[in-house]
Amino acid sequence: MIELINVSKKYVDAEKPAVNELNLSINDKEIFGLLGPNGAGKTTTISMLCGLVQPTSGSISLNGLNFKDNLTELKQLIGVVPQDIALYPTLTGKENLEFYGAMYGVPKVILANRITSWLKKFEMEKSANKRVSSYSGGMKRRINLIAGILHQPEILFLDEPTVGVDVQSRSDIMHHLKALNTDGMTIIYSSHHMEEAEHFCSDVAIINTGEIIARGNPVELIQNQSDCRNLEEVFLKLTKPNFHSK
Amino acid sequence: MRKLSAAMRKEFLLLIRDKIGLAILFVMPMVLIFVMTLIQDTAFRTLNEEGIPLLVVNEDQDSLGFRIENGLKTSDLVAYHNEINGKKATRDELYEAVKKGKFLIGIVIPKGTTKTIQEEVKRLVDESLGEDVSNVQVTSTEIEMVIDPIASKSFVTSVTSQLREFISTVKTRIMFETFNAQIAEFIPDDLEVKQSEYSNKQAVTYKEVYASEISGELKPNAVQHNIPAWTIFAMFFIVLPLVSSIMKEKEEGSVFRFHTIPASYFLQINAKLIVFIVICLIQFCLMLLIGLVFLPMLGLPVLQLGNSYIGILIMALGCAMAATGFGVLVGSLAATLQQGAVLGSLLILVFSAIGGIWVPAYVMPSIMRTISELSPLKWAMDGFYGLFLRGEGFVDILPHFFKLALFFAVCLAIAVRVQSKKRIG
Repeated sequence: MIELINVSKKYVDAEKPAVNELNLSINDKEIFGLLGPNGAGKTTTISMLCGLVQPTSGSISLNGLNFKDNLTELKQLIGVVPQDIALYPTLTGKENLEFYGAMYGVPKVILANRITSWLKKFEMEKSANKRVSSYSGGMKRRINLIAGILHQPEILFLDEPTVGVDVQSRSDIMHHLKALNTDGMTIIYSSHHMEEAEHFCSDVAIINTGEIIARGNPVELIQNQSDCRNLEEVFLKLTKPNFHSK
Repeated sequence: MRKLSAAMRKEFLLLIRDKIGLAILFVMPMVLIFVMTLIQDTAFRTLNEEGIPLLVVNEDQDSLGFRIENGLKTSDLVAYHNEINGKKATRDELYEAVKKGKFLIGIVIPKGTTKTIQEEVKRLVDESLGEDVSNVQVTSTEIEMVIDPIASKSFVTSVTSQLREFISTVKTRIMFETFNAQIAEFIPDDLEVKQSEYSNKQAVTYKEVYASEISGELKPNAVQHNIPAWTIFAMFFIVLPLVSSIMKEKEEGSVFRFHTIPASYFLQINAKLIVFIVICLIQFCLMLLIGLVFLPMLGLPVLQLGNSYIGILIMALGCAMAATGFGVLVGSLAATLQQGAVLGSLLILVFSAIGGIWVPAYVMPSIMRTISELSPLKWAMDGFYGLFLRGEGFVDILPHFFKLALFFAVCLAIAVRVQSKKRIG
């Protein structure tokens, strides 16, 4: 379980806190969507959950462990797929995966098997030995995702995992993420893509100006807003005061 | 250990696939050493072989003027000329020619110089024999040395002092002969006295010996000076590929992923340091190879390595550590690749300038000599010069190594501190 209690983050020189008194608990094996407009505090929240940024106040725990006392254990527990492609362009896809897998301490033979298996699942065996710089956007996204799951984390953080990819690649990625969740992985997902979130997430929170303004199952959230037909309309209604549904 | 070896493998692969980085690391320093050593060696060798172009205007047309001319004609130091466009040069033409750089030095021997010397000697002889010389007026004359203003001061000082010494010897000889002639006038004709001759063999001569413990004959030369200086300079330029490597990881997002990985930033930095220190040492060996094998093929002297191979290895390691540590520090301080590259190159240029790579520290003003002691390139140079030129051993260079090692440790400590502050946000 992931728990945030009264978590605030105010950056130096910032007028307002990026995240303000946030309280949130996320159950195991959920696909939790953190949705919000630009500057709402999504990235700061995820960065705090990954241990990249320290909260100004409040406490965060993952499976009962906090970053202050259990940094290494928690880093082994989580996987992160950043929005920007965090790969070495001059290394091949396989070399990137070998490096990141080794950094997580995955044993050599197991790592080799996992890399082969994931490359096969994403139909990337043929291009595995080509440099990342020669890959299409979709191929980079897939390798970026595999690099975050090679060590089989219990909790996976996804920041816009399908941005800039074609429909087929997106479908492929989402399919495999669903499969990982079915196998027991908790997924924390952040996106602007409301339609994707509506179908992918079992639980969502809409965050605006550092505060959670709505929380629940996507279907329930839509039902609660009588004039909204989908999650996008719910999102717009809650984050844009002068919104009128069509 | 596996994490470290994986990080080192990654660094190695990134490095060998970076063509520009490789060029900066290996090709550029080799070209630099070739060019700088050849230029310096051939420049002085050309002057030595062909002589410094010198124009003489002999207005004296007497023994002093002729003897100076004859002496300069046979001198190895200068290439003697007394004509411009096939005609004897005049004083004004000499000034003009030197001003335009056609000759590096011009010498004007004014009319009556010999006569002035002879009159002076005659007056001295008369005075010593008790004659009244108060009414005798001896005018003084100046031999003019006209110098091309672009010639460097140290070069001019060296050449003119040799010319002055030569002219002074000729002058002394004339004085001696005049004195002999004057004395002869007072000796009765029937008394046979053998006139002494001014001997070419001098009673006191000079011998230049280099205070070095290197066995055999050590001749400091362009190779011996340039290889250590430019090798150190090149090794410090590893800062650029290193900064580029650090900044690319920041800009391409890998650093973001590192911070979520259960491996410390220190491990990533250690991997970089090990790979780049090894690269620095390979670079160093290549530079020595140039001095030992390739430059001699072009007719330059072979680099002499001195007496301590362990000392060379220790100094090379110290220099590599200081250079990579400095690279990590610049990489941590810079916000962008461009900023890091500019900051890194500028600081190396400053360190090398104050460290005596361009101009030897011993010719600097006192304040600059004090400041130069702060440059890690100076510590490295002192160490290598000690080994290559003074014949020092392993123990002698340890203070220089420890300074470089301390610099490395301080750079790393600051880099880790800066990095952790940036991360905490």
